[in-house]
Amino acid sequence: MTKENGILKGALRKPPVQTALFFAVMVGLPVLSERGLLPHSFVYALGNTLIYAIIAIGFCLLLGYAGLASLGTAGFIGIGAYTAYFVMQQLELPFIAAFLATLLLSILLGVVVGFISLRIEGIYLAIMTLGLSETIRNLLMALKPTIKIELEHVRLFGVQLGDRGSYYLILIVFSVLMLLTASLIHTPTGRAILAMKNSASAAQAMGISLMKYRLLAFVIATVFAALGGMLYMLHVRTMTTATSTLLTLTTSLNILGAVIIGGAKSLWGSTFGVFMIYGIQSMFLSKIIFFQKNPAFITMITGLLIILVVMFFPGGFAQIAAQLRLWLKGRLLKRKGGGV
Amino acid sequence: MFAAFVSMLCGSLLNICITGLSAFAVTLIFKTSTTTNFAQGSIATLGCYVTAELFRKAGVPVWLGLFPGLLTGLLCGLLVDIIIFRRGKNVNPVGKQIITMGLVSIIFGGIPLLFGNPESIPFEPFYNALAAGKAPNLFVPFAGGELVVTKHALICLAITAVVLGTLFALLRFSKWGLAVRATASNEYTAQLMGINSHSVTAVSWALAGALGVLAAVMYAGGGAKIGVSFMTTIQVNAFLAGILGGFSTFHGPVAGAVCIQLTASCVGFLANIPGLSGITRWNMVIVYALMLVVILIRPQGLMGKPVMKKV
Repeated sequence: MTKENGILKGALRKPPVQTALFFAVMVGLPVLSERGLLPHSFVYALGNTLIYAIIAIGFCLLLGYAGLASLGTAGFIGIGAYTAYFVMQQLELPFIAAFLATLLLSILLGVVVGFISLRIEGIYLAIMTLGLSETIRNLLMALKPTIKIELEHVRLFGVQLGDRGSYYLILIVFSVLMLLTASLIHTPTGRAILAMKNSASAAQAMGISLMKYRLLAFVIATVFAALGGMLYMLHVRTMTTATSTLLTLTTSLNILGAVIIGGAKSLWGSTFGVFMIYGIQSMFLSKIIFFQKNPAFITMITGLLIILVVMFFPGGFAQIAAQLRLWLKGRLLKRKGGGV
Repeated sequence: MFAAFVSMLCGSLLNICITGLSAFAVTLIFKTSTTTNFAQGSIATLGCYVTAELFRKAGVPVWLGLFPGLLTGLLCGLLVDIIIFRRGKNVNPVGKQIITMGLVSIIFGGIPLLFGNPESIPFEPFYNALAAGKAPNLFVPFAGGELVVTKHALICLAITAVVLGTLFALLRFSKWGLAVRATASNEYTAQLMGINSHSVTAVSWALAGALGVLAAVMYAGGGAKIGVSFMTTIQVNAFLAGILGGFSTFHGPVAGAVCIQLTASCVGFLANIPGLSGITRWNMVIVYALMLVVILIRPQGLMGKPVMKKV
């Protein structure tokens, strides 16, 4: 029994197995909603939450592994969203063109920010990226107050994507990126990024190029955020650049908060953090009449939760889960000992 | 043309005051608690709501209602320090930032619960106390043209000058100022030297809260529409002013705030040149981009000293 148990546990630790499990569960949810077991808005909200989760895993790599704090996430999302709008609605080009354009622009932007990070560090870097994000937000506001993609232009390989189609697209992108990131962490590249976080000087002494890996970390985070923005435009299809909170500091802080309370060094923890900050509100609490009437309570509870987790569990939910597991194991051992 | 230009610069007086006050508040907390306080704007908004509510419900004039507002900001700052930050000394810098972000959520949620969700909140500028209903602008003949200044901006400038002047003098010459500067340079050593750094951080938070409320009331008096997040832009500008001027001194961020707002109005003035009339839309983009370039060239800020890293 113990051997089989061990194999099962070992398999569960493998990123492909975890991602496949997650994928399997998430793929089933729209079917449930079609049978009337789940409200339609639930799946729509889940799609939105997964978009934030994509952004968060990129950010997790940047903050938790590379140790670089950025407040520019909102700007990167905006770049992705505007590119998607411009390519698919204005130029009426297919999805692939939008995807490639987003990728190219975000890599460029990531390289620029990466170079900035070589010159400026710590909180200064965070404020600097905040400045960049504000520049992008003002740029988008000046370019167009409202961006909107008509449903007929949302096509993937010639097939029009409805709400459910875009949900599946988001889920696939999330799973692929999660798998890539989780695998990257265990490669020499991932180790180098982690070494750089722990001590930049020591890492350099070991022959790790600070420039190469900082640029890489920023490029990954920027690409993920921009892809998130692109998917947002495919899923929600409209954004008012002048008033949307998606482009403001709030979003950057929420993503940062999600990663911190989830556990900065845990990709699944960060995903869980996103579900806590964005998901619970849109998927569950907004269905309860009390919270529908007083949405302010949700905001307050989220804030309180963030403060409590940061103060008492600096490792976030990942730490809480680990402690819980230890405690349970201890209880089981005690019971076994008592039995024999 | 020149008079119009100077008028334009005068138009940014109010923004200079507001951003300067906020930047000073942000710096005070940055130096004593080593965190960027994202709740700066929200605490200010809360205090401004108190003033506005007194004006709307009880007809208390704004210059009088300002004081309960300031007190709210003061208490908020004090509570944040005593309840949260004093216990969270060991939280890492990013964690501290996240805590202030949690505070933003709590205040954002709390304001509609306390004050409801009114469509628009009536407010009045300070000069109403002296001459209600009189013309809001002052016209001064100048260099062959006419200077236009709002009275509100002039009053705010006077208040800001007195407040910031007093604070700089206190920082430079008083015992409290010495304690703040010592805590800012190294909290642990300051404690060893017998400085009560707890009271230093508590006073800093309280002061920052009150300064924020002062800025918010000035902003609202200048015609800004009060809302839950109406101070966000000001706060972002204050942070940017902080790194533009350099967080290593107290006057740097204030100078940075002046620079940002003056540049903004200069760029806005370019719209008068034929062929460049479309520039107004791009105003902030140009200002931010310029600022980022300056910071890249001088990472320590305009007035900052470069930090030597010890291994």
